[in-house]
Amino acid sequence: MSDDPDKVWPTGLTLHEAEEVHSYLIDGTRVFGAIALIAHLLVAASTPWLG
Amino acid sequence: MMFDYRDFALRRLASLGPRYLPFADVATDAVPLSRLLRLSLFQVTVGMAVVLLVGTLNRVMIVELNVPASLVAVMLALPLVFAPLRALIGHKSDVHVSALGLRRVPFIWKGTLYQFGGFAIMPFALLVLSGYGEAVDAPRWIGLSSAALAFLLVGAGAHMVQTVGLALATDLVDEESQPNVVGLMYVMLLVGMVLSALVFGALLENYSPGRLIQVIQGAAVVTVALNLLAMWKQEARDRVRAQQMAKTRPLPFRHAWGDFIKGPGKLWLLVVIALGTFGFGAADVLLEPYGGQILGFSVADTTKLTALLAGGTLIGFGVASRLLGAGGSPEKLGLLGAMIGIPGFAAIIASSLGGGPLWFLAGTVITGLGAGLFGHAMLTATMRSAARNQIGLALGAWGAVQATSAGLGVAAAGIARDLILNAPSQTSISAHTPYNIVFMVEIVFLILACGALLYLLVGGKTAQRSRKNSVEGSAAPDLQAKPVEAS
Repeated sequence: MSDDPDKVWPTGLTLHEAEEVHSYLIDGTRVFGAIALIAHLLVAASTPWLG
Repeated sequence: MMFDYRDFALRRLASLGPRYLPFADVATDAVPLSRLLRLSLFQVTVGMAVVLLVGTLNRVMIVELNVPASLVAVMLALPLVFAPLRALIGHKSDVHVSALGLRRVPFIWKGTLYQFGGFAIMPFALLVLSGYGEAVDAPRWIGLSSAALAFLLVGAGAHMVQTVGLALATDLVDEESQPNVVGLMYVMLLVGMVLSALVFGALLENYSPGRLIQVIQGAAVVTVALNLLAMWKQEARDRVRAQQMAKTRPLPFRHAWGDFIKGPGKLWLLVVIALGTFGFGAADVLLEPYGGQILGFSVADTTKLTALLAGGTLIGFGVASRLLGAGGSPEKLGLLGAMIGIPGFAAIIASSLGGGPLWFLAGTVITGLGAGLFGHAMLTATMRSAARNQIGLALGAWGAVQATSAGLGVAAAGIARDLILNAPSQTSISAHTPYNIVFMVEIVFLILACGALLYLLVGGKTAQRSRKNSVEGSAAPDLQAKPVEAS
């Protein structure tokens, strides 16, 4: 693996660019996860499904 | 052998890749109308958020969920907290550091996520807040804090998307077509508001908790879909810009704001926007009860008033696009818009003093027309005067002032309306007096806006002249100084 940061890999992205695209995915997953958690807690508060 | 397969697969992937990436590979000089139309879809989602919060949920929370009206008012005012932060968001997008060379799209995406997240938890938060099902026994703070979080998320997301979306639109087009883009953006906001008001109204006619969840979460999905469609391939990937971004140290907001506000006429333009928007802002809320209570319009008639006002506004956008596209001065057109608003409100006042419904309808259309001209002209003026590296900050400042004063105008009108409707009927003053006082206040604000604009037009010219003189004055010694420096 090359350490040259400016090398364009076959994906058409350099290492930094690929990392940035990946960071959007990670951030999105985190936000979605947090939102899903809050939504589940709220639903559980009004209509409990665990007894 | 294995390596060849891998190489082959990667090559195929790479040839497919860019087509499915959400950013354009090259920046084109001419942006076709279809692409701008697509970009303007983000305004539809902003309009949808506004209608859902201010119109639909306002009613649902009070009527169906029995939440106290004062609590509803506080919750719905929460997004207003974020309005002044628009300037900061715009600035952040100006100095954003990205390996892909992107400035606007990451923020539109983030704003979309917040909008989606807020809508996703909102129905459950509202149900818990209203004590639905087992939530009666749940601690009060759960409902309160989660509902507040939901409204804050939607508000923050909508402010972010609109600010950075408008900055992106300004990036994309050249100065001649800016008026058309402003018109397009305003029309799409109006379209989004009207359409979603109709759809939400029809869907929530037979209210049930399940239906509320469907409608709000449906709005969440539509928001993500439209915003994705809007920002798809709009901003070009740019390695050169990415390298510049990595090298330059971002200017702190305080300094950038200091530079921005020192620009000729910038502060006055913001003052004008604040005064004028506040002046026009209250009309929307007060026209319906005024028509119903004073002129005896039926409910169906009063909803048509809103359509009439919107129609006047649309005509205003169209006229402004044409005049400014032909090279008119946005400041002069803004002055015209504010001046048209004054007789508009005067006609509305006159209608209760013996003028009759015809005066009222004419006043409504004229006020709408003035609001359209004024709003369009002010946004165009903001875009035109924005320095190329401060577009985000300039539109953020416009949005901060505009959203804050519009929100305050609507809130003030709402408070005035509640006071009027709940006041004990007194025989000493007639019913139309309090309304007319509010409309008089609007006129005063519009006159102030006109005054500030006149000052801007006159003062701006002298400032320009003096700047020109100083530039000419400083240029001459510079030329003479050069050889000295060289030696």
